[in-house]
Amino acid sequence: MAEPLLRISGLDAGYGDVQVLWGVSLEVPRAEISCLVGSNGAGKTTLMRALSGLIEARSGSIVLDGKPLAGASPEAVLGAGIAHVPEGRRLFAAMSVRDNLLMGAYLRRDGKAAIGSDLEKAFAMFPILRQRSMQDAGTLSGGEQQMCAIARGLMGRPRLLLIDELSLGLAPLVVDELCERLRALNREGLTILVVEQDVAIALELASTAFVMDTGRVTRSGASAAFADDPAIREAYLGTI
Amino acid sequence: MPLLYFQILANGLVLGGLYACIASGFSLVWGVQNVINILHGSFIVLGAYLAYFAHLHAGIHPFLSILIAIPVFFAIGYGLQRMMINRIIAAPVLLTLTLTFGLDLMLQNGMIMAFTADFKKLVLDPPLGTIALGEVVLPVDRLAAMALALALTAMLYLILSRSRIGRAIVAVRMDREAAALMGVNVARIYAITFGLGVMMAGASGPLLAMIFPISPLGGPAYLGKAFVICVLGGLGSVPGAMIGGLVLGVVESFGALWFGPEHAVTLSFSLLILMLLFRPHGLLGRKGYE
Repeated sequence: MAEPLLRISGLDAGYGDVQVLWGVSLEVPRAEISCLVGSNGAGKTTLMRALSGLIEARSGSIVLDGKPLAGASPEAVLGAGIAHVPEGRRLFAAMSVRDNLLMGAYLRRDGKAAIGSDLEKAFAMFPILRQRSMQDAGTLSGGEQQMCAIARGLMGRPRLLLIDELSLGLAPLVVDELCERLRALNREGLTILVVEQDVAIALELASTAFVMDTGRVTRSGASAAFADDPAIREAYLGTI
Repeated sequence: MPLLYFQILANGLVLGGLYACIASGFSLVWGVQNVINILHGSFIVLGAYLAYFAHLHAGIHPFLSILIAIPVFFAIGYGLQRMMINRIIAAPVLLTLTLTFGLDLMLQNGMIMAFTADFKKLVLDPPLGTIALGEVVLPVDRLAAMALALALTAMLYLILSRSRIGRAIVAVRMDREAAALMGVNVARIYAITFGLGVMMAGASGPLLAMIFPISPLGGPAYLGKAFVICVLGGLGSVPGAMIGGLVLGVVESFGALWFGPEHAVTLSFSLLILMLLFRPHGLLGRKGYE
């Protein structure tokens, strides 16, 4: 099997006195879509925050393609190629859609032309954003905001895109469209790790799945196997 | 009688342009990092002294001292934030307020020691004269000072709205953590923001030096005006400071006419209280910016 793009091993992290992640280990395969599922409070968002450097890892390692990233600042993590689309989108509400996208390219030093052409790509991927480009991001609908947040993440030209809560609060049709775009991005070689509370959506989108429970990764493997697993079906899919 | 009103209005707008310049940097720092910079007024006074001594000893025109003040005061602000304020930026607002209050006392007393407590007045020789617009007569130095003040304020606005750093400042203000995820170094942006705020204070000093006498204890009066303007215009937006400054200037001028100049301060703080009661977001307050 090819070397994974991201390898996390024995990661401990938390907030203040509260430790949330307990020895998390997982390997995100290169050029695939993976998903991270688990109940509320399992530590999925905390893992995303530790990955992107918003909270510091207490021990353990995070390695992206041979480069150690545990303890790195968010700036360094993004520079290394991991972009994080945070839970709740977290757009800059009173900034235009276009300026939000440009914020995604904040660290890039490859010139206005390259950034401009990526802006065009983002508009081509999500045409509604072009129509709304001069509007404040806070005026967008939920689905449009998620599109804007994903496009903003892509503007940093990541090798790995983390998306925390892809479908939360969005209509099924919008979720279908987002999944379609993510598959297209993946076909172009982008590695994607999606945190998703809707396990059915997650297993359909991703080829590899990780299950988190009380701050640990309890299972991992091919999504197809999970979808057929009676225990998973009972716990997360609501059918036996 | 209407002619008098035009004259008063013109005086008020000239004063208001200067007020806008004073308040915009203060408002920026307060809005972006929730730091109430008590030093702001004394930095204006320090900028005025810079212009006074540059004019006295080197014959440098106060308008040119602005070009010296801009880099000097930016560096002071940047360094102050990096070395001191960033250490307590996460603490409740009272702590940063106390820090800048203490530093302000030191700066005021330092200025008394260095420059004596005597009032100084920068006198241009020859004076710039006056200009008549119809029947309304305006001194050229005040008019030019207002034009430069508005130009400085417009410069700050352009930095914030058009540049990459400016976008980062606005992003940090709206969502610090999301900005960090974009790769923004928040501590550095805070230092740049504070640098810009202090730069605006220092650069408006030479303009005020041409109009008002300079006293080492003059800072708090300017600070009070900046407060009122922030509340009038809405916190943290340059257009807000612009509108708030012009409104305050006009209100003070007409207040001086109708109630006597001794009530100018009473009037501006009454305005503050009324705004807080009835329109706490300010005249231009914008959702998502708070």
